[in-house]
Amino acid sequence: MSLIKNNKGNIRKTLDWLSEEIKPSFDLVYKPLHIDDKHAELLYIKTVVDGAQLQQLVIKPFFELGNDRHVEAYLNSLPNLQDIEAKEQILLELTKGSVIVAIRNQLLLLDLKRVKSDSVLETMIEPTIQGPQLSLSEDIATNINLIRQRYHKPSLKVETMDIGEKTHLTLAILYDEEVVLNEVLDSIKNKLKSIKPQTVQSTMELNRLLNDKKRSLMPIMMMTERTDRVVYNLAGGKVILLLDGSHTTVLAPAVFFDFMSSMDDKYGSYWITKFLKLLRYFGLFACLILPGLYVAATSYNPEVFRVELALSVAGSRIGVPYPSFIEVLFLLVFMELLTEASIRLPKAVTGTATTVGGLILGQAATEAALASNIMIIIVGAVAISTFVIPINEMSFAIRVVRFILLAFSSFAGLAGLLFGLIGLLMYLAQLDSFGEPYFKIYLQSKRTETERTST
Amino acid sequence: MNRYFFYLVFVNMVANVVASVPKILISHRTEGAIVSMIISFFLGLVFCYLCTRFFNLFPGKGLPDLTKKYLPRWLSFTMIFVTSFTWYIAGLITLVTFSFLLKRFLTPDMPLTWITATFLAFLSYGILMKSKSVLFTIETVLLFCLPFIFVITLKAYTAPELKLDFIKESLMYINHYPSFPAVAASIYLLLGGFNLVIFNRLFKREQRINWKNMLFIGFIGGGTFVTTFFIPIGMLGFDAVEHVVYPWITTSDTLRLEFFIVERVLYIFLLLYLAISFLSVLIHWHVTLELLKSILWFKKMTLYKHNLTPYLFIVLFWLGGLKSVTNLTEYQLIQFSSYFLNYLLCSFAVMFGLFWMIKRRAKV
Repeated sequence: MSLIKNNKGNIRKTLDWLSEEIKPSFDLVYKPLHIDDKHAELLYIKTVVDGAQLQQLVIKPFFELGNDRHVEAYLNSLPNLQDIEAKEQILLELTKGSVIVAIRNQLLLLDLKRVKSDSVLETMIEPTIQGPQLSLSEDIATNINLIRQRYHKPSLKVETMDIGEKTHLTLAILYDEEVVLNEVLDSIKNKLKSIKPQTVQSTMELNRLLNDKKRSLMPIMMMTERTDRVVYNLAGGKVILLLDGSHTTVLAPAVFFDFMSSMDDKYGSYWITKFLKLLRYFGLFACLILPGLYVAATSYNPEVFRVELALSVAGSRIGVPYPSFIEVLFLLVFMELLTEASIRLPKAVTGTATTVGGLILGQAATEAALASNIMIIIVGAVAISTFVIPINEMSFAIRVVRFILLAFSSFAGLAGLLFGLIGLLMYLAQLDSFGEPYFKIYLQSKRTETERTST
Repeated sequence: MNRYFFYLVFVNMVANVVASVPKILISHRTEGAIVSMIISFFLGLVFCYLCTRFFNLFPGKGLPDLTKKYLPRWLSFTMIFVTSFTWYIAGLITLVTFSFLLKRFLTPDMPLTWITATFLAFLSYGILMKSKSVLFTIETVLLFCLPFIFVITLKAYTAPELKLDFIKESLMYINHYPSFPAVAASIYLLLGGFNLVIFNRLFKREQRINWKNMLFIGFIGGGTFVTTFFIPIGMLGFDAVEHVVYPWITTSDTLRLEFFIVERVLYIFLLLYLAISFLSVLIHWHVTLELLKSILWFKKMTLYKHNLTPYLFIVLFWLGGLKSVTNLTEYQLIQFSSYFLNYLLCSFAVMFGLFWMIKRRAKV
């Protein structure tokens, strides 16, 4: 129950302390209510409290009910009532949008938040053709509501905690108690408790904070804004983290193949989705190896491919002054710049950037003999295939890996490229996401593969 | 059995090509190679079975864990040290052979030390990983490669250049007594199971190898024996095959994929075997490193809370690798490989003695 059950003086002191702490702010409201022998005092911060609700739930009943015992009983029965543990907690709750009511030697804390960011947004990061078109909102209560609406099961647990030394945002941990891997859940909870960040603004920040390695390339948690993906992963036994004020969630543990799947894979018919998946993995491979392959095939082993191809590559490279790896690097860097520019620019200018960059630069580069025609085709193909990777973070990581592979194949030709690929594979295989191996091939049933006792 | 066990077995089977096994067998083709192969086929299966059964008795335990528990210290130390040395040489032979191969066929412009250094750089990263990650890597690479290997084998069997006459000719030498080097070389194919000395640490669940598993290994192993020996003879000719340094590489160069992106099978073959031999060295040297770590661990050698002992071993691996690549000739390499394989076969007598002792002392 919500009481600091002391005498009048003590309550007075608490109220004074609270207003003293918040004082210079213009939006602090201290309001005594008084009629006949009824008396109550309200203390709240105007800008975060829902005025209409306050009027409806507290002020109106105060004047309508018979005496202040009735009012106290009424207030105590409201579902908005919060527990009071300490003075500091009251202060924190006030900043979040709670109202303190002092009545009959008792302090009551009522949650009457006003949230302006609870409108549900359309999916922007992971659009699909079929499936729900709305994603999450930026308010945690609305988000939990959206997820619960799609997952009716009593074993779905929602635990909350505060995160951020300064911001004190609410973080919700969602999981299905029946299927969740307990080791993973414990390790996530422990890590969340051990980190002490000053501010956390987005769920993606958690990805970095919860990673044991300071410098990492691959995301070990998966960000999503799609409710269907959240529900699918909940049912699969993953842990979902929701942060107040962020319209994305993160899922853990994540494995490499999660990042290559789109929710459309669930909705299409069997062969179509198989084909799309194949296409996606082909795209992944193409964008990883094509630049390196070009360098290896022009500078080290022109004899590997057909003679005609070797000749036409050599022919189109006539007049190119630099060795092939500089040519590739030059165009790849400009392509990356183009991608980066089109993300950060205001929408209205993006069109111009792509036209100028893509069309004119490519055309002019070949005419000025800075790059061969085949190189332009390869860069184009690489750019397109990067966009095939459905999850953004993975496609960013792959963009970096591509340059590493390019470096290896510039050093050691085809052998270097192959070693680089195996190296990438080893890097992925030694990663783990909260104790679960990040990259392994799943051949047997899910239960046998995820059991810890066998490999 | 766990599927990861089969990968260990298969990597050895497929990688025999880069361990000079075909070359040694072919050089004995008039001196009882076929009978040797038959003998080592059965002997190898028995070895594989016994070794696996032994480790099935101790789920989750590697050889060093067992010797430490059941044997006197000095014996345990010597045995593990010798075993680790054996495994190191097995990896080294593959490494050196493949560096020579790359130098000769794929990247002739690159200096040999540079090729080996590339190999070693990636290997160093790989062998330092957890055993579990090594298994995941092996599985993925192998699953990528096996379809290609299957297609190439199929292509080889159906190629019109494969002359049955030569194979028949070689079959006429079946009535010769087996020779020890040929037995020793061909048994290498079936010794992959012995990598359990370390990898058994991961197989924590109770399991037993059964006759179905053995039949599977026997079937694939038999196919590999036949392919490894007869295809080069059928392709290159019974007499001419002797003059070729790398019989299988030259054989693959006789094949053409007319409508594929890469026309000459040689290049696909080289890249495939680059991956496979990498796996083979990765497994062998990972085992070496783990064995060494179990007997030699310098507690004081730390830097920023990292123990440097594994890195010390890696430096030794590098030195050994670079030294032997620069000093050996191809002829010496094949000779030394043959010596090593002979030694390997003998050393298994000691190994099984060790198994027997452990089993008796553990009373299981």
